[in-house]
Amino acid sequence: MALKALIGGLAVVGFSLVGHAGHPKRFAGLFSAAPSVAVASLAITAVLKGAAGAVPYARGMLIGSAGMLAYCLVSLYLIQRLHALVGSILAWLAWLLVAGGLYLVLGS
Amino acid sequence: MEGDVLQQDDREPVAFDWSRLASVKPVELGLRFVFGTVIALVAAIAGTAAGPRFGGLFLAFPAVLPATLTLIEKKEGMTKAWADASGGVLGALGLGAFACTAVLLLRWNPIGALFLALVAWAAVSAGLYFLFRVTGLFLRQDRLVSKAGS
Repeated sequence: MALKALIGGLAVVGFSLVGHAGHPKRFAGLFSAAPSVAVASLAITAVLKGAAGAVPYARGMLIGSAGMLAYCLVSLYLIQRLHALVGSILAWLAWLLVAGGLYLVLGS
Repeated sequence: MEGDVLQQDDREPVAFDWSRLASVKPVELGLRFVFGTVIALVAAIAGTAAGPRFGGLFLAFPAVLPATLTLIEKKEGMTKAWADASGGVLGALGLGAFACTAVLLLRWNPIGALFLALVAWAAVSAGLYFLFRVTGLFLRQDRLVSKAGS
C-alpha cells in the first residue's frame, strides 16, 4: 500500500511536469486527466496479486472516468462563476454523483 | 473568460517547452506529490475495505486538478485555468479509453496491457484535441459554455 502511494505520487508529479511544459493550455490540460495514479496502482496490483486481481480495479476506474468527464465539464461552468479554487472543489460533487451513481446502478 | 486570450493561446503551435520547468516551485511539486500519494492510498484502502471495483473508482478521481487549476489561475489568469479544464474534458475521454483497454487486455499481459492502455489514452485525448482544433469545435464548445455561464 505504501509502495502504491509512493509511486502514485511520483507518477502524478511526472505527468504534471509534462503538462506544465506543454502548450497551448488546452493541450497541456490533457495531462490534467492523465492516468498517473492508475498506471502505478494497476501495475503494482498486477505484480502483487496477478492480472486477475487488477481487472476489478480497472473496471472501477472505467466508472470513475465517467465521473472525471462530468467533473471537467461541470468545472468549465463553475470556474467562470466562482473562480478556480471554489469551482474546481465544488465540481467534485459532479464526480461523486456520476461515479457513485453509476457504481450503484451497475452494482458492486 | 476572455475570448481573445483563449483564441490567441489556441493559435500557438503544439509543443513542449522544457525550459518552463525551471519556473516550477518545489512546493508546487510537493503539493501534487501529496495529493497523488493520498489518492493512491485512498484507492488502496477503499479496495481492501469495500472491494477492488470500489477502490478502482478513485483511480480516476480528480484529486490534483483543484490545486493545478488554482495555481494556473493565480499565475496566468482565469482564462488559462479554464482552458486547462477544457483540455481535461478530452483527457477524461482518453482516461475512459485507458480503462477500457486495461479491462480488456490485463489478463493477456499486464505490462503490455498497461503500455497499450497508455497509448490508447494518448491517442484518444491527443486525437480529439487535434480534431477539435482543426475543425473549430473548441470555438463552438466555448460559445456553448459561455452561454450557459452567462
